[in-house]
Formats: sequence, structure tokens, C-alpha cells
Amino acid sequence: MKLERTAVDTTREWPSWGAIARLAVMLIIATLLQTTVAPFIRILGASPDFALIIIVCVALMKGSETGAVFGFLTGMMVAIALMEPFGLSAFVFVLVGYFAGRYAETADLSAGFAPLLTTFAATLVADILFAMAQFLLERQVPMGFFVARVLIPSLIINTLLAAPLYLVVRLWLRGGGDLHVSRAR
Amino acid sequence: MNRRRVLRRRIVVAILLLLSVAMLTLYFRESNSGVAHGVQGVVLRVVAPLQNGTARATKPFRDAWNWAGGLFSAKSENTTLKKEVEQLRVGVAKELTTQAENDELRRMVKLQGEKIFPKGVRLVTGRVVARSTTAWYSTVTINVGSGAGVAVYDAVVNGAGLVGRVTSVTANAAQVTLITDQQSYVDGMVMPGGAQGILSGSVTGDVTLQYVDKNERIKVGQLIVTSGRTGSIFVRGIPIGVVESVGRQDVELYQSIAVHPWVDFRKLDLVQVVLR
Repeated sequence: MKLERTAVDTTREWPSWGAIARLAVMLIIATLLQTTVAPFIRILGASPDFALIIIVCVALMKGSETGAVFGFLTGMMVAIALMEPFGLSAFVFVLVGYFAGRYAETADLSAGFAPLLTTFAATLVADILFAMAQFLLERQVPMGFFVARVLIPSLIINTLLAAPLYLVVRLWLRGGGDLHVSRAR
Repeated sequence: MNRRRVLRRRIVVAILLLLSVAMLTLYFRESNSGVAHGVQGVVLRVVAPLQNGTARATKPFRDAWNWAGGLFSAKSENTTLKKEVEQLRVGVAKELTTQAENDELRRMVKLQGEKIFPKGVRLVTGRVVARSTTAWYSTVTINVGSGAGVAVYDAVVNGAGLVGRVTSVTANAAQVTLITDQQSYVDGMVMPGGAQGILSGSVTGDVTLQYVDKNERIKVGQLIVTSGRTGSIFVRGIPIGVVESVGRQDVELYQSIAVHPWVDFRKLDLVQVVLR
């Protein structure tokens, strides 16, 4: 038995109510993991970004539109839960969800490393956007600190966590018609 | 048909991006009683209990993780602690000498009360239920808010010393900006001696006492406490940490002092808000 991933079907309509309910649960889990668990896990000086990884996984499975909406809502929820200015995380996560979804819709995802590659790229983009936002908000952004203590550790941690989280998200969302299971001969 | 879907997709993303920018602008422009802050408060009423539950449920795992992490750093920590004990022995001897004088002065000005906080100051205990994961913010969310009397600018402490100050409040939660945050400023004082300065955090998490008069003789191991001078939001004498190193350059007007905080910010759990 082999799990074969194909490009996400772009002709389908919005997710069903059942799928929306599952996404809502995933949204709450992502928020709680990001705000109450991730900060206490420090590897190489950085914490894993569960919210970002889950957004990438959802976008890979459900496409760009759902990915963007899920990213927006996750960004809002995380900002509200941390009492941070909301809008910033939402902006970054909309872009992450949209482009991860577009990648899934246009590329051949049969290779198993697609979630890892997408998470790596998403982390890179998100970290740079967050650093730029801090610069615009007139906060210190030392380049050496950003690269050594933020970017590189988070790229490693998030990429490593992408595989197990993708499996969990895929199981929870049941593929939603995006996965095609075929017998390998 | 396909073109319509592409158009819809682009419109959805554009609306979401515009909405994000609009909310970010609104959040920064409005006061704490504005619409965006109001929405935040309402949503937090639902989310905060969930965070509280998750924080409690995951605490054993976090403790186990910290314990495992602590094993790796135990060796180097042991050496550091031995040095600290040596420094503290000297400090205790000095402290005992000054304690009698201090007590006498207190009696003279009738400022007897609890060791740190003046009589009448009320403390509210809360639990850290969330904290920022990005390196750019050093903030935590605690599960007590305006319902318990907490207000913006209240000082937050734990058993080890000063944790930070309240920067945002809703009915049942409050955001605390830690003293390690790059936008945190606390008026500090070196003891003994009483040299004053401004304690500020940084993006790297290092804490520095700045603007200390260059003529003041500061030594490694001296204590840093809040100065509580007029207009300060912190009461006098809250322990902050010890002097780690002193940076004094001839060309500069002030000296900069690296401070090792008493509070272990990685393991924050229960804290107390000092109500003003």
C-alpha cells in the first residue's frame, strides 16, 4: 500500500461543514500548542513554530484559499492569546497559507519531502517578514542575532517537526479528498 | 469557470491581507478601551481558561523537559554557583553589618512594614498561561486581570524578584512585559552604595543597568534592586539581580553594568502582581 500525493484539486468548492469543524479543532490546537507548549520547548535557543507548521500542512492538503483563511484565523488567535498587536501574525500567516497552498495546487507532491521543503521555505519567509516588521516598529533587529539565534535554529526545528506534524494533521483531516490511496504493485 | 475561481482566490487573499493591515493599524492607533482591544478581551474570556487548562496539563512535561535540559547545563552551572556562593558570603557579611543600621533608619522614619512592600500593598497571585514564542517579544500572559484588580503598569514579582510590569489588561488576563524585553525600562539601584541607573532589556535577553555615574565604584556581585524614586511605578527595594560585569570606558560619560537577573524566566509559573 502506498500513499500517493497528487496536486490539490482546484476545481472543488469551499470545505464541507464537517471539514470546517475539523479545521476549527485544528485551529484551537495550533493556538494552544503555540502559546502554551512551544515557548517552553527550547532547542538550539529557539522554540518550534507549531502554528506555522500546521498552517503549511493544512494548506498543502486543502489548497491556497483554505490555507490563507486558516492562516489568517490562526494568526489572529495566536495574537489574541498572547495579547500582542493583532494583524501582524495574521498578515504573515495569510501569505504562508496562500503560497503553501499554491505550491500544492501546482506542483507534484508525490515526493515525501514536500512538507519539509514547504515548511523550510515558509519559516524562512515568515522569519524575514517578522524581522522586517520589528524593524518598522523601531525595535532592535541585530543581523547576527537574527541569523544565528532566530533564523537558523527555527529553520532546523520547524523542518524536523514538519514530518510528524504533517502525518498527524493528515490523519485528523482525513485527506479531505486530496489524498489518493492506491495499491502499489 | 476556472478564471472565476482564480479571481475569487485572489480577492479572498487580498481582502485578508488588507484586513490584517487595517487591524494592525487600528490596534496601534486606538486606546486600551478601543474596539480591537475590546474584541481581544472578549475572545480571551474563552481562550484564557483553555490556556490555563493546557498550561496545567502540560506542566509535568515541561518540568521533565526543563529537568533534562538542566542536566546538560548542570556542570557549568555548578562552577558558576560556587563562584556565586563565594560572592554572596561577602555580601551576607556586609548585609549583616548594614542590617542593624537599616532597621534603625526604618524605625526612625516609621516605615515599618513588610520587608519590601509598604503596608497596605495588596498582592494578587496569578499563573503564567502563555508566553511569546518569538525572539522579538519577551512577554507572558497571566490568568488574572482587571477582575482581580490588576491594572496597567502594576509591577509583577515572584519569589526570586522582579519579573516585569503589566502592559495590557482584560477582565481575566493580563500581559506582562518581562524585564528582559527590549522595551522594558526599570529604575534600578546598586546596593550597597545606592548608585542609580536605568535597567533595560534587549533582544538577546541580556539585562543592563545603564546611565550609572562613571564615578560610582561598582563591583561584580553587588545587588541590584528597584530604586522606587519619585514617579516610579515600582516600589523601592524589589530584588532584581546581581552585577555580572562592569563596562567602564574613559570616553563615555556613564558606565554600563551587565546584570544577572535572579528570576529564571524560562521557568516562570506562579507570579504576584503588586496592586498600586
